[in-house]
Amino acid sequence: MPTVEFKGKTFNVDEDGFIDDFNGWSREWVDYVKESEGISELTEEHWKVIDILQDYYKKNGIAPMVRILSKVTGFKLKYIYELFPSGPGKGACKMAGLPKPTGCV
Amino acid sequence: MSEDQYPEITISPEAIKQAVSTRMNARLKMWTRICAHCGLCADSCHFYLAKNKDPRMVPSFKAQKLKELVRKKGRVDENYLQSLYDIAFGDCTVCRRCTMYCPFGIDMAVMVSTIRSILTSQGVAPKGLQDAIKNYQESGNQMAISEEDWVETLQWMEEELQDELPGATIPIDKKGARIMYTVNAREPKFYPQDIQLAAKLFHVVGEDWTLPSKMGWDDTNLAMFAGDAKTAGHIVQLIYDRAVELDVQYVAITECGHAFRSVAFEGPVWLGKDYPFKVVHSVELFAQYIREGRLEFDRKITEPITYQDPCNVSRNGGLADTARYIIKHIAEDFREMEPHGNHNFCCSGGGGAIPMGPPFKRRRMEAGKVKADQIKATGAKIVICPCHNCYDQVNDLNKEYNLGIKVKSFKEIFEEIMHIPEELKAQEEEDLGEGK
Repeated sequence: MPTVEFKGKTFNVDEDGFIDDFNGWSREWVDYVKESEGISELTEEHWKVIDILQDYYKKNGIAPMVRILSKVTGFKLKYIYELFPSGPGKGACKMAGLPKPTGCV
Repeated sequence: MSEDQYPEITISPEAIKQAVSTRMNARLKMWTRICAHCGLCADSCHFYLAKNKDPRMVPSFKAQKLKELVRKKGRVDENYLQSLYDIAFGDCTVCRRCTMYCPFGIDMAVMVSTIRSILTSQGVAPKGLQDAIKNYQESGNQMAISEEDWVETLQWMEEELQDELPGATIPIDKKGARIMYTVNAREPKFYPQDIQLAAKLFHVVGEDWTLPSKMGWDDTNLAMFAGDAKTAGHIVQLIYDRAVELDVQYVAITECGHAFRSVAFEGPVWLGKDYPFKVVHSVELFAQYIREGRLEFDRKITEPITYQDPCNVSRNGGLADTARYIIKHIAEDFREMEPHGNHNFCCSGGGGAIPMGPPFKRRRMEAGKVKADQIKATGAKIVICPCHNCYDQVNDLNKEYNLGIKVKSFKEIFEEIMHIPEELKAQEEEDLGEGK
C-alpha cells in the first residue's frame, strides 16, 4: 500500500486515495487532501462537516446519509456540495479519514 | 497477502466440484467445446488493447478458464483461486463486447459471470460486493438505508424543490400511478439532488408517478455482478412486490445501466415468471416525453458533447438510437466516439468494478485508457453518461488523463435547458417560503 508523507506524518493510502485506517487520521491529512478535492481554503464549516462525519462513523461504522449531515449542520444540500465539490460521499469522507463508502460510489 | 486478495477461506474440493457441475448447463458446456481459439475476439476487448495486447487479456483465454475449472474437478489450491479471482473480477467487466465479434456467438461474459458465481459461492468475492450483498439481504438496498431515512430524504427533497416549483411533489406509495420510479441507493445516500431532478422533470411533463416507501426502491443489483443469483432474485422480487402492490403499469429505472439489465432482462429468469408491468429505462422515458411534446427546451447546449453508451443501456439494452433521439434535441454540436452505439467500448467501470472498491481502482484506470483516448479524440467538453458507473468512471478518467471535460447525466442537462412554463414557477419573493 503506498504511503504519503506530509508535515512529518505518514499515511497509508489505498488505490482510491483513502487512508487505510481511521485511527491513523490527523488534521494534517485534511490539509494534504484538500487541494485534490478542489478546496483552497479550509473554513470552520468544513471542519463542522468533518467532525460530524467522524462522530457518526465512530458510533455507526458507516458514513451518514447526506440528509443527516444537512440536518445536523443546518446546511442546505447545495451548500454541502459547495463546501465539498466532489461530494459528501467521496471528498468529505476521504478528508474525514473514513473508508470509501460501500456500493456505487 | 496482497491487498486485493479475497477474504480467507477454506477450500473444499467437493463443494467446488458441486458448484461447478450445478452451473454447467448445456449451453455453457457447448461454449467450452466449440471455441476455435481463432482470436477474433482479441481486439474487441478494452483490457487487451489497453495492456499492449497481452495474450492473457484475450476474452476467449479468460472465458475458457471455465473449461479448465471443469477439468480440475475441484482439485484447486489457494493460488489457483486467486488467479481466477484476478481474471474474473479484475480483468473483465462483463460488458459483452467480445460476444459481438465471436463467429460462434459464444457469450464470453456469461462464461466469466459463471466463474464469478462459482467463486462467490465459495466466499471468494471482492469485499465491496460482499458488503453490498449483505446490505441488500438486510435492508433491501446496497447501502443499508433504513425506511425512515429513505422517506425522510424524499420529504426533504420535496421541500427544497417546492422553493422553486411550488406545486411539485414526490408522491410516495401512490396506488395506481402510471409509473413506479426506482433509484440507485447512492441517490438518497449521497446524491439526493438526482431524485429532486427526476421529480422536477416529472412535474414539468405531468407524469403520474410514485416511489415506494418500503424496500424495493433500490433497482441496483450488485449481487448480479458477484453471480449470487439468489440475492439477485431477492432484490428483483422486492421491486416486483412493490410494483404489484402499487398496481403500476411501468417500473422506471433511474439513469443506471446494470439496474436496467437486472430488472428488465435477468429478473424474469431469476424469478421464473413474467411481470404484470413493463420495465422502462429513463432514456426511453425521456425520449417519450420529447416525442409527445411534453418535454421542450429553451435552447440547445452549444459546447461540444459526446455520449458514453453504457453497455447495459445500449449494447445490452437496445437503447443506442433512443439516446441519440434525445441528443438531437439538446446538443448543437454532437460528436460521436468511434466506435459507438452497440459497438462502444466499456468505460472500464462496469461489471461492478467501481463497487468492488479501492483494490480495483488502478486496474480500471489502466483499462480505461481506451475510453479516455476515445473521448479525447472527439474534442468534446461534455460527456453524457446515463449510468452511475459510467458517470463516476469517466469522472475518474477525467482526473487521471486530464481530459478537461464535464460529465453529465441527461437529467443534469435537462436542468439547464428544460422549458418550464411560467405558471409552474414560484412567482414572488415572498411566496418562496410557502412550500415549507
